[in-house]
Amino acid sequence: MSTQQRPAIEVRDVTRNYRGATALDAVSVTFEKDMIHGLLGRNGAGKTTLMSLITAQDWPSSGEITVFGQAPHENEQVLPQICFVREEQKYIDDAKASHAFAAAALAFPNWDWELAERLKQDFKVPEKTRIKKMSRGQRSAVGVIIGLASRAEVTFFDEPYMGLDAVARQLFYDRLLEDYAENPRTIVLSSHLIDEVAHLIENVVVIDQGRILMDEPVEQLRDRAVTLVGRADAVAEISGTREVLHHEELGRMARTTVLGALSQAERHRLKELDLDVVPVSLQQLIVRMTEKQQEAAR
Amino acid sequence: MSTTTTSTTAASMQPRSSFARVPAAFRLHFQVKSFLIHVPLMVFFAAWAIALGIGFWLDRVRAEGPWTAEDPFYAGASQAVVWCLAFMAAYAASHNFPFSMALSFSRRVFLIGTYLAFAAVSAAYGVLFVLAALLERVTDGYGMHVYTFDLPFLTESSGIAGAGVLAAALCLMVMLVGFGVVILNLRMGLVWTWTVLLGLAVLVAVAVMLITSNDGWPAVGRWFSEQTSLTLALWTLPVSLVVGGGTYLMIRRATPA
Repeated sequence: MSTQQRPAIEVRDVTRNYRGATALDAVSVTFEKDMIHGLLGRNGAGKTTLMSLITAQDWPSSGEITVFGQAPHENEQVLPQICFVREEQKYIDDAKASHAFAAAALAFPNWDWELAERLKQDFKVPEKTRIKKMSRGQRSAVGVIIGLASRAEVTFFDEPYMGLDAVARQLFYDRLLEDYAENPRTIVLSSHLIDEVAHLIENVVVIDQGRILMDEPVEQLRDRAVTLVGRADAVAEISGTREVLHHEELGRMARTTVLGALSQAERHRLKELDLDVVPVSLQQLIVRMTEKQQEAAR
Repeated sequence: MSTTTTSTTAASMQPRSSFARVPAAFRLHFQVKSFLIHVPLMVFFAAWAIALGIGFWLDRVRAEGPWTAEDPFYAGASQAVVWCLAFMAAYAASHNFPFSMALSFSRRVFLIGTYLAFAAVSAAYGVLFVLAALLERVTDGYGMHVYTFDLPFLTESSGIAGAGVLAAALCLMVMLVGFGVVILNLRMGLVWTWTVLLGLAVLVAVAVMLITSNDGWPAVGRWFSEQTSLTLALWTLPVSLVVGGGTYLMIRRATPA
């Protein structure tokens, strides 16, 4: 047996065209098993298209997708292990949340009623309101509960926080982490609120204009860049030949984000030069790196 | 990284029948009871009650009119629920299909479950039709010669049971068409859906013109008069098969949003 676990999801050279528009352009990416992945990108970047293709709700114009080594399209061996509730999910007309949960319980072999009931109370999902009459946040909660309680081996959350208030969002993140700790599985969380999900995700996939810009573990990413703040000449000295992701100057002061970790000697020199080192948030790093790659592509 | 898979994955990735979730897909359509049960039942009994009310009123006034008391009154209200179910079938395509995708049903499993649900509802309609027709037969149209189900052109040729079979077969065909048109719309978009529907209308118009120009209407009338309820029910089968099969080809490449 190979010591390397096969990824849960493998996407190879996948392109999806919609009437002349290219939603995904020769995308190749893998999602490791039993890990929380962040699928990050701007609106319209191709996040939902990629998730639709992996979950066989849509199909690629070209390329190959496998989930646990099998093509998911029309494949009942794999599909029951996949859950993808869309951001604007349609439900049975006139359905209440209980109807949706009952249908999901029949469809997903690992469905956990206890968890669903607990989440229903946590999110205060109304019993008697029809889903189509619910607020945006309540509808999001119904989708989130189906996603979590399905305990599907591969679960996608498509911008799950839409309409949820700060308390409900935190509740979702907490419950997700709790349940993930007890039942590890492959979770893909699509979001454009990067910092809000930064503490959850172990791997980052950034997509922009239908292409994968970045695919790396979060830990590796955090070490990749620092922001230096202080006198412009001092900042320039430390920046040296490093790749500059972002640079701002105001009078004699500069704020520069550079790629690469600092050596011990450089840290010592920072003190002498009276420079501040500001950690780069995941959001800043991704935004800056995305901008840089886009410039390079132009 | 661990070399072993978790126990849940191992258990859940065991080979299973590709049709294991057909019952779940079938039950999906019955989760909301108003959808295929309560509302159609309400329409069935309300249409029947309205027909009965009109019959009762007629019974009161016709003694004074040109009719004799024995002239039967035939109402067409028994078909009302079929059109209600056509709409419900369309909803099954527009709402239940996208939801079934979130539940990760394969389109094939969803379609088999859906067709079985339609067949169950149609069979139930056939049984209700038979029971209502029997009631009318036994009571001579509630003592007023008012008939909504025991209509001679349906029940004379193959009996009340034959009429029930025809009612169920027609109901299934109409539901398949209602469902298929919405799936066609999801697959091809509005313009192509209407192109197909208009194309069908043109075909019917051409057929009517050909029959008229060849003086074929007496032959058509003869053909219909030769049919029994059971043979007519059989004639719905090719239509149901073509529509049901065509819908399968379309839903394979239909997207929920």
